[in-house]
Amino acid sequence: MEQWARREDRRLLTGRGQFVADMAVQNCLDAVFVRSGIAHGVVRDVDCAAAREVPGVVGVWSAADLSGLPACAHAAARLQDLPPVPHTLLAKLSTAEAVAGREWPALAKDRVRYAGEAVAVVVGEDRYRAEDGAAEVAVRIDPLPAVVTPSAAAGDSVLLFDGLSNTAFRGEAGTPIEETVWQEAAVVVEARYRQQLLMPTPMECRTILAVPEQDGRLTVWSGHQMPHRLRRELAALLGMPLDRIRVVVPDTGGAFGSKSAAFPEFVTVVYLAVMLGRPVRWIEDRLESMTAATRGRGQDQRVRLAADADGHLLAYELQIDADVGAYPHLGVGLPMQTAWMATGPYATPRVHASVRSVLTNTMVTYPYRGAGRPEATIALERSMDLLARRLGLDPAELRRRNFIPAEDFPYQTPTGRCYDSGNYAAALDLALETIGYDTWRAEQTRRRHDPRALPLGIGLSCYVERSGGEPGGLHDFAGIEAHEDGTIIARCGAASSGQSHETTFPALVAATLGVDESRVQLIEGDTDAQPEGLGSFASRSAQVDGAALHHASALLIDLARERAADLWGTPVEEVEWSDGSVHHVRDGSAAMDVAELVKATGPLSVDDRFESGMGFPFGAHVAVAEVDPELGTVRVLRLVVVDDCGVVLNPAIVRGQAFGSAVQGIGQALYEGIPYGDDGVPLLAGGLLDYLLPTATEVPPIEVKETRTPSPSTPLGAKGAGESGCIGTPAAIVNAVADALQIADPGLLQMPLTPDVVWRAARAAKYEGAR
Amino acid sequence: MKITLTVNGDDYPLDVEPRRILADVLREDCRLTGTHLGCEHGVCGACTVLVDGQAVRSCLMLAVQCDGRSVRTVEGLAGPDGEPHPLQRAFSAEHALQCGFCTPGFLMVAAGALEADPAIGDDPERVHGLVESNICRCTGYEPIRRAIMRAAAESASLRRR
Ligand code: FES
Ligand code: FES
Repeated sequence: MEQWARREDRRLLTGRGQFVADMAVQNCLDAVFVRSGIAHGVVRDVDCAAAREVPGVVGVWSAADLSGLPACAHAAARLQDLPPVPHTLLAKLSTAEAVAGREWPALAKDRVRYAGEAVAVVVGEDRYRAEDGAAEVAVRIDPLPAVVTPSAAAGDSVLLFDGLSNTAFRGEAGTPIEETVWQEAAVVVEARYRQQLLMPTPMECRTILAVPEQDGRLTVWSGHQMPHRLRRELAALLGMPLDRIRVVVPDTGGAFGSKSAAFPEFVTVVYLAVMLGRPVRWIEDRLESMTAATRGRGQDQRVRLAADADGHLLAYELQIDADVGAYPHLGVGLPMQTAWMATGPYATPRVHASVRSVLTNTMVTYPYRGAGRPEATIALERSMDLLARRLGLDPAELRRRNFIPAEDFPYQTPTGRCYDSGNYAAALDLALETIGYDTWRAEQTRRRHDPRALPLGIGLSCYVERSGGEPGGLHDFAGIEAHEDGTIIARCGAASSGQSHETTFPALVAATLGVDESRVQLIEGDTDAQPEGLGSFASRSAQVDGAALHHASALLIDLARERAADLWGTPVEEVEWSDGSVHHVRDGSAAMDVAELVKATGPLSVDDRFESGMGFPFGAHVAVAEVDPELGTVRVLRLVVVDDCGVVLNPAIVRGQAFGSAVQGIGQALYEGIPYGDDGVPLLAGGLLDYLLPTATEVPPIEVKETRTPSPSTPLGAKGAGESGCIGTPAAIVNAVADALQIADPGLLQMPLTPDVVWRAARAAKYEGAR
Repeated sequence: MKITLTVNGDDYPLDVEPRRILADVLREDCRLTGTHLGCEHGVCGACTVLVDGQAVRSCLMLAVQCDGRSVRTVEGLAGPDGEPHPLQRAFSAEHALQCGFCTPGFLMVAAGALEADPAIGDDPERVHGLVESNICRCTGYEPIRRAIMRAAAESASLRRR
């Protein structure tokens, strides 16, 4: 194994990985969806007759056709009509009130509400045949006016669901702030920010393969973050007992939050597999993903931030109009993540955040790496820079004056969070020292006096985020088994989509048990092998599943000691565990390896549920950027990211994730965004030539550093890692550009900072006192 | 249409529809699923394979265009005895992969360049240019660049011996 840094590497580097699309299944049909090219309209006719005549096409159905299908042959399922898409209860991402009266059909019935919504499905002997069939489906949709932004939709002049307001959810965190606070404050800054819509874009799109088995069970393979949730939702939809469905997550090509639901296509494919009694798979392609996969972010924000003359924060108010897309089922409550984190790392006495989630004729919004925390950080950190400028204070100094002091943890925020631990000033100091803050400030001054030099800016962003999940979803399940042959099996409810669980978790278990790493194998992502689990989301795997495995290892040690005590007829206090063996404290007899103990006393296995508290990772990111006012281009000269995610299990893995995450953060700041036409159709005809993911060309020199403040929430002390760059980096870059341009109106710099945006901003009025 | 592809040294006599892209034929007909499809429109490079030693996007090439030609995929990168290619070892050592979905494409781009010019590591700009040609959403590219430099340095030192 020494050849490979990670256990995953051997197969992934030699072409032997097993992604869903790689699996060969006899008789498998490929599903292709016929999608609406219109964002809002009445479905008049979906004619599948011609498509059914295409050679190699096995079946074609619209929603109406499926409701006419005879009740299914599959013994275990009670099915008639194609079930609708379930809503997400986890972390209050959606609510029963929000979805009441707003059904999300897996295939659109009488109305389409976003461009890309599926209106028919074709299954064929292979993808080519199915695509041939899809091309023959005749769809007639009468367009209705589309509402594309929250502000347009909130007026309810066009309703997505007749008789129901487009505003599907309202919420708040904290207490409303009295007007007198703003009137009496020495300084108040106000701004509006747009958190543009982003595509999570894992390099593998969504995948699902449903295989009805001989014994009446159903096996579902999917690149997924939450196999147990998928099993539960599918069982409910199909009317099947939970234990009749097995969900397996094989190799998964990235997820970034976007692969954790039962999507309309999943519902349709699984339904068809059961109805037809034949394996069916759907391998989403990129252009399809670009219209019909969930998006992230999507908030219009208004902020007010007040301070006294010394720069001590008095009050912060954040109002969010969230664009949650056409259906409230997956993310109508997601903006609450922003509201709850609105306080940020500062000891602001009054903070109030309010959310209005509005339905629009666009695809649905759902978590994307950061999931609500980037939006909170960007709004607050951009405002902090504005305030610093107004006060004539160095932005680093303003932040230092307001950080929650390290000795004040646990800290109850006005927006309802209880931060577990932190040392925000230490992270900022390390970031400033690493980048050479004073040197860059001197360079900035020099350039401001040199008419030929390009303007340079330095941007700071201090963040605190939340990891592990929300109350009710902070636990997971883990088990450890010791076998006669010396192997140790570790099981947990997580599911990796590239986070190296197979390497990190066995190392953790081996260290806890004191055995050689090569003895420990991880099993996860298979609901038969590990019957209960929550999954991998909210940066929780190390924090929650790591702690659960750590805990289970300790239970296994206790059990082994009890077994040995019975075997030897001694009190358990006289049995010790070390290096994978039990031995008697007093008599000098040799230690007995756990494998020998299993041979002598039978299988040794423990299972438990472990509950963590919420973790609050934090950090400070600093960017230096140079702007060309004539071309509108931004060149990031240097980026330093300092993250603190408590105790780190595998530093190389965490750094790798921090680095990749920072590049995604650069993507949000400078390049990525989904442009919609007024008709609600995304303007992305050129695919990934129009939606600009960062390539190596766009990656500046990035330095990743860390501080370590353990979390008291678990004995392991780990907090979540991996989302830091998406959360901390965008504001650092935007602040650097604003600092370079010295513009008076921050509203002119809305992400992504394309050459067009920057060129215009470079021509706008500078703030008072600008040089 | 009847064609023969020579993939990683083995002959595959195939009967394929002219419209089928090389990537699909490699994956479905030859069952070599190491070549991945990340965009199917020529941008991401996940599908990169070598055709007669040249890196091509196998989503943009028809299988019939490769009749009688030699194709190399990630499955053919290791030595005959299974000894990993220097690039495979270097990618692992530098953590140049996380989910591994883009990896076969980067490996083949680099393998083609390294074989065409074993001294490519002497010019970091050219290595950077290779990394710029494909998309990875996980790593942020820097580890991939380091891995290619490491493999190139190793090949160079082998040559000098
Ligand atoms: S799949 Fe061929 S370039 Fe993306
Ligand atoms: S390692 Fe996941 S896309 Fe490159």
